Amino acid sequence: METALTLNHFLFVSGVLFAIGLAGVLVRRNLIIIFMCLELMLAAANLTLVAFSRFNVQDGQPNYDGQVLLFFIITVAAAEVAVGLAIIVALFRTKETTDVTKVNSMKY
Amino acid sequence: MPVYYLEIIVVALGLVMLMVDAFVKLEDKRSIAWIGMLGLVVVFALLFKVKWPESTEGAFWQFYSSGDKLALYFKGIAVLTTLVVLIMAVDYTPTILSQIANPEPGAHRQAGLGEFFALPMFACAGLMWMASANNLVSIFVSLETVTIAFYIMVAYLRRNVGSLEAGVKYLILGALSTGFLVYGFAWLFGITGSMQLSEIATALAKPGVNTTMALFTFALILVALAFKIGAAPFHLWIPDVYQGAPTPITAFLSVGSKAAGFIVMLRLVTPFLASPALVGKVTLVLTVVAILTLLVGNLAALPQKNFKRLLAYSSIAHAGFLVMALASSPPAGGKISMTPVTVIAFYLGAYLLMTLLAFLVMTSLRTKIAGEELDSFRGLAKRSPFLAFAMVVSMASLAGIPLTAGFFGKLFVFKLAVEAQQWALLVFGLIGAAAGFYYYLKIAASMYLNEPAKDGDTSAITVSAPARIAMVALMIVIILAGFNPGLILGLFG
Repeated sequence: METALTLNHFLFVSGVLFAIGLAGVLVRRNLIIIFMCLELMLAAANLTLVAFSRFNVQDGQPNYDGQVLLFFIITVAAAEVAVGLAIIVALFRTKETTDVTKVNSMKY
Repeated sequence: MPVYYLEIIVVALGLVMLMVDAFVKLEDKRSIAWIGMLGLVVVFALLFKVKWPESTEGAFWQFYSSGDKLALYFKGIAVLTTLVVLIMAVDYTPTILSQIANPEPGAHRQAGLGEFFALPMFACAGLMWMASANNLVSIFVSLETVTIAFYIMVAYLRRNVGSLEAGVKYLILGALSTGFLVYGFAWLFGITGSMQLSEIATALAKPGVNTTMALFTFALILVALAFKIGAAPFHLWIPDVYQGAPTPITAFLSVGSKAAGFIVMLRLVTPFLASPALVGKVTLVLTVVAILTLLVGNLAALPQKNFKRLLAYSSIAHAGFLVMALASSPPAGGKISMTPVTVIAFYLGAYLLMTLLAFLVMTSLRTKIAGEELDSFRGLAKRSPFLAFAMVVSMASLAGIPLTAGFFGKLFVFKLAVEAQQWALLVFGLIGAAAGFYYYLKIAASMYLNEPAKDGDTSAITVSAPARIAMVALMIVIILAGFNPGLILGLFG
């Protein structure tokens, strides 16, 4: 028997994606992987936006506002990655590590 | 002149500064900062000349609020902060150059300095845009413009481990908060079906709103904004980032970034507070956050030995007072003398004046005294009575002593808490304010009562002319606003 995909299916998948991303940020120690997990969180938000946009039908049309925000998020995320990777590379050049637990020279 | 020209002018100024840096052969690149400063003074003057459009038809006005005096006031805050940051950046030039030294032969001896002056302009444009943003899309884009500019500025000293460390910490936690914010926006769009703040408010106020989903959305957005404003329990990055970042950028972070966070918070939390179905729980959450922030900020500041870390905890403490104002929404039908929005706007203005003054004193000292440790302020009154007096004014205002702008800031917050009958908040606010007296006045006392360290430098300190003018102006406004708070309140009606 065929069952149609509903809004809840999409929301569930995006919630799982967000949780995986958040868990990765909290648990992993390599900066590059943490950065990938942050991108995963943004992807989860994007999926949620598209799902809400598609299922929020007004006058027979999806509500495209959500999909517009999605394009802004993709663009901003790209800018963030460009700056972020540059900072991580600069850190690697001085400290020769990308392990967050070794980035702790400042203490009281 | 239409109001949105101001943002365009600021961005154009930033671009001009970059182009001058790239294509004009300058002996001293500090003149690039002067272009920016002069431009910002003009923009500040133009703020009083703007015209609002007759009609707000058309797509643009869906992203930009119209006829908003408070937005103009916040734009003024952004411009003034950037101006003072540029003044500090010029004084800070030797430190920047020593930490980004370019090993390439034949490079300009000040290579890499021009961008340091241009980046604050882009952050400023983002802040100004944010003040007028009335749509989730424009809020998101302007907030990220500011945040990404800050990532670069915090990590700017690329040969300095402290600055890079601060940069990485700010990057990861800033991106994390962006993740929460965007996911929250997605849900907000889902439950209200709109990106427009006014329509979101209408949708949330309807009786049929799904409270579970709305509270989940509120939690996501609150986590994101608590990161930005440095409210507990998401304040952990603040001391490290403030300590590691270049001093002018620390000042920019503590004023600009905080103001940005609160502008967004006012816009996004107000619809939740206006919804009868949600107001109770939302107020409770905000109260808990405010109490935690007040305790953490004020108590952790007590044992600090580093001045930048002390100001970091002080900025957390002030965030606590601001959230306290937000949590003190008046009871339905209750009579109040001031709205939380007015109180927060006033408090941010006063906070801008006194924090920038403290940082100006610090950058003037930075070239003269060894570290940023509190001990280096010992006996400062003997070496530079002017700087010591400026510091006392700033500390008195931060502590909230009468006849300073900071006093009225705290007074209005407490008054609001009484009118909203938030007694628990009031108690913790008073404890925080009392602790503040100790750690702010400790510095003032050490400057006047102690002798300078024996082995230290005891020569007189010279202060650059722009910094001196800025300090005098800030002191005058702090004291005048301490006699008559209407001076600041009148700016936004």
